[in-house]
Amino acid sequence: MINTIRSEWIKLRTVRMNLVLFIIAVSFPVIVCVLVASLGDITDLHVSDVAGLVVGSSVITALLLGVVGAVSISAEFAYGTIRPTFAATPRRGRVLVAKAVVIALFAFVAETLVVVICYLLSSAIATSRGASLSLDSDVQARSALIGIVVFAIIVSLLGLGIGMVIRNTPAAVAVLILWPLVAENIIRVVLSAAGVDRPARFLPYTSGFGLGATDVSAHEGLGRIAGGVYFGAATLAVAIIGTIITSRRDA
Amino acid sequence: MITVLDLSKRFGRTTAVDHLSFQVNPGTVTGFLGPNGSGKSTTMRCMLGLDRPDTGGASFGNRAYCQLSSPLHEVGALLDAGYVHPGRSGRNHLRWLAASNGLSRSRVDEVLDLVGLESVAGRRVKTYSLGMRQRLGLAGVLLGDPHTVVLDEPANGLDPEGIRWIRDVLVHLASQGRTVLVSSHLLSEMAQMANDLVVIGQGRLIEQCTVAQFVDRHADRWVRVASPGVDVLAGAAIAQGATASRIDATTAELRGITAVEVGELAARNGIVLHELSPQTGSLEDAFLEATAAAQEFAAQPLRGPL
Repeated sequence: MINTIRSEWIKLRTVRMNLVLFIIAVSFPVIVCVLVASLGDITDLHVSDVAGLVVGSSVITALLLGVVGAVSISAEFAYGTIRPTFAATPRRGRVLVAKAVVIALFAFVAETLVVVICYLLSSAIATSRGASLSLDSDVQARSALIGIVVFAIIVSLLGLGIGMVIRNTPAAVAVLILWPLVAENIIRVVLSAAGVDRPARFLPYTSGFGLGATDVSAHEGLGRIAGGVYFGAATLAVAIIGTIITSRRDA
Repeated sequence: MITVLDLSKRFGRTTAVDHLSFQVNPGTVTGFLGPNGSGKSTTMRCMLGLDRPDTGGASFGNRAYCQLSSPLHEVGALLDAGYVHPGRSGRNHLRWLAASNGLSRSRVDEVLDLVGLESVAGRRVKTYSLGMRQRLGLAGVLLGDPHTVVLDEPANGLDPEGIRWIRDVLVHLASQGRTVLVSSHLLSEMAQMANDLVVIGQGRLIEQCTVAQFVDRHADRWVRVASPGVDVLAGAAIAQGATASRIDATTAELRGITAVEVGELAARNGIVLHELSPQTGSLEDAFLEATAAAQEFAAQPLRGPL
């Protein structure tokens, strides 16, 4: 298993596009946080506001990590490298688990880096402008910063699962991005029209956003833990379907 | 040793491989021949567990490929030199392959040196020519120093020097006692490197034998004779049931008669001979004759303006 993980890690780090996505995923939220902390109004600024800024700007990181997850498998089908991959490691489940481990670790490192850099920079800039902030005093803000890291890991694995099912890179990336932006909004409207109470709690992505909520009571999903578990379970279901398809189909 | 037993694979309504059985022995290069669409590549993919066969399967020394824990140490396979990520360097392509089976980075450098790609190993594969990709693919095959080698059209895209090189490599590997199965449409190359043949058509086994036996059974045979009295000699041969075709004023090709019989005819008739030689068709001729009924797409000979 260790050999397969090493192999998948080499694959991930030796494609330039992944490096470019990593740089964008890290630098974009950092730039946004620095600009907002430098130019925004800091009157009555609380640590939850800074956490909200970090979480909000790093959602793009999570989505880009999802793209990395999707491309890590769909590109293998596109370029045919899935065949030497499965020829070198005939136990396909082992390859897919190794990919999941590498993608999850990559997402963990990237999102943690983003959260730490963004929070430290934002709070340092705001403090230098006269704000008084302390993360110790706000459990929800702390949980939101940890939660967004978990969210990013789940999104990256969701991307991998969608890539396994769809196999086509543009289609997989489109589904990954359009699911939260379009599909869940449409489903929400339909459920509302059907008279369903609090329809957001049935939407996995929206519920998953609860992981990064700085005020869980105001979030429309299932709450932080339950929402995260629901999103994780939906991701696991996609990954299991993807694993079954990949194991049974011809490579 | 590779054993393929009762292997069948269907894609929808199309039967790509139809209850195919054959055996590949160690110590020789075995050529895998068949017309386009005859099921060679599908057979190889099924052998390696990449396509799921509908019946039967293949074993490598009594074990199915999927049961091999570190396959690169036991079976080196090259199905298509295009199965590489164009944005990755040749060296990094081999590194992930090596890492998957616990092979070292130094082994990657060794095989790069072996195939002559060490100077371009850091370049991205999209800058490689087809021949360079074939060499990279062969480097992947050699990574684990396997005792069995399976190659699908390895000479594709190679220049004459590259074709000779790959032929020498495969013959050398077989001489070391390894099992080598190689498909190729370059029949002249196959004639020079293969000892045994597995010939298939429309997914079914047409013949498994040595190259010599195959040519012997399927290739055309005739006697070439050159003589100032070729007309008299051809007439005498025809009288014995042979057929004759005139090449030029003094040369003819006689079929249905042996060189010995033609020599005796000439002696009996006092005819001077300038040439008397038995001729045999090439492996290509034998292949075309053997697979004539199994051609999926048979082209018509061109006659007149297009």
